[in-house]
Amino acid sequence: MKRKKIIQILLTILVLALIIAGSNVYYQFNQPHRNVQASKADYSYNSSQIVNEYLANPTAANEKYLDEEGNSKILEISGIVAEIFEDFNKQKVILLKSALDKAGVSCTFTPETDATVNQIKTGETITVKGVIRSGASYDKDLGVYENVIMEKCSVVSK
Amino acid sequence: MRNSIVKIVSVVVFLIATTSSFAQKLVSQKTSISFFSHTPIEDIKSSNFKSVSTLDPSTGDIVFSVPMQSFEFEKELMQKHFNSSDFLDTKKEPKSKLVGKITNLSQVNFKKDGTYNAEVSGELTIKGTTKTINEKVTIIVKGATITLKSKFNIVLADYGIAFKKGKPSTNIAKTIETTVEAEF
Repeated sequence: MKRKKIIQILLTILVLALIIAGSNVYYQFNQPHRNVQASKADYSYNSSQIVNEYLANPTAANEKYLDEEGNSKILEISGIVAEIFEDFNKQKVILLKSALDKAGVSCTFTPETDATVNQIKTGETITVKGVIRSGASYDKDLGVYENVIMEKCSVVSK
Repeated sequence: MRNSIVKIVSVVVFLIATTSSFAQKLVSQKTSISFFSHTPIEDIKSSNFKSVSTLDPSTGDIVFSVPMQSFEFEKELMQKHFNSSDFLDTKKEPKSKLVGKITNLSQVNFKKDGTYNAEVSGELTIKGTTKTINEKVTIIVKGATITLKSKFNIVLADYGIAFKKGKPSTNIAKTIETTVEAEF
């Protein structure tokens, strides 16, 4: 009788352990993407600050802002709207750039936030939140300055 | 007299400005790079629309700079694996680059509408490793718009990209089909 009970308890523990392990694997495999819009920004700058920080020391800036698994820092960047266009994926892109800077911050929106761009005009000063993908740099082969790239963007104030 | 000198100078300046601007490099931010990995276990695809490319019609120089963290995957776990130090190590190597040249430039007329088959040879750098590649590129000229299209294979081992163990090592193909498009 006692023995039967012990076996019963052991079996229950085993089944529970399997369920937990299985659901953990399932969660790992199906874990959702980070919601950039719902997350708090890690840093707030104007476009000149982040551009110049990258131009001064790209290695240190990559270390500071990029994440090893691709979930890099979320930035809030304010700046002057220099350009508005659509990329090859039909996503709206706003370039925040001061006329005095060599590069700006290119902000790509999402299907959910695209519509907000329609109210933005060039020359306005706005603040955009997004995840940083890569920094500003001069590329000698391209022969041009590359902008800081942010994606999953939304307008937080204008 | 003075007036005519000013006129001549301005005409010369205008001519230089217009002719040199024609020979100038074109810059595109309308780009698409996607890849496709097929194994019996699963198909994985990913796209990136954030590359910057330049094309110099007078020399045939083509450059692509690709921000690696802009590759998006359906599953978060795949995206994490892709970026990790075990695979593309995008924190240390945030950009890939192609520096190429059209080798049969005489067969491409950028001023005339049409579809041209170009040969591009160049250096492709992924994860800090540079290899020479020779690929076919279709160039479509239509009015003022030039479109480049190419599809080629990348052997991951050439660039020292491999998962040593675990599920990703069996679920990712050794050769990746890569599709590139840019509009100038």
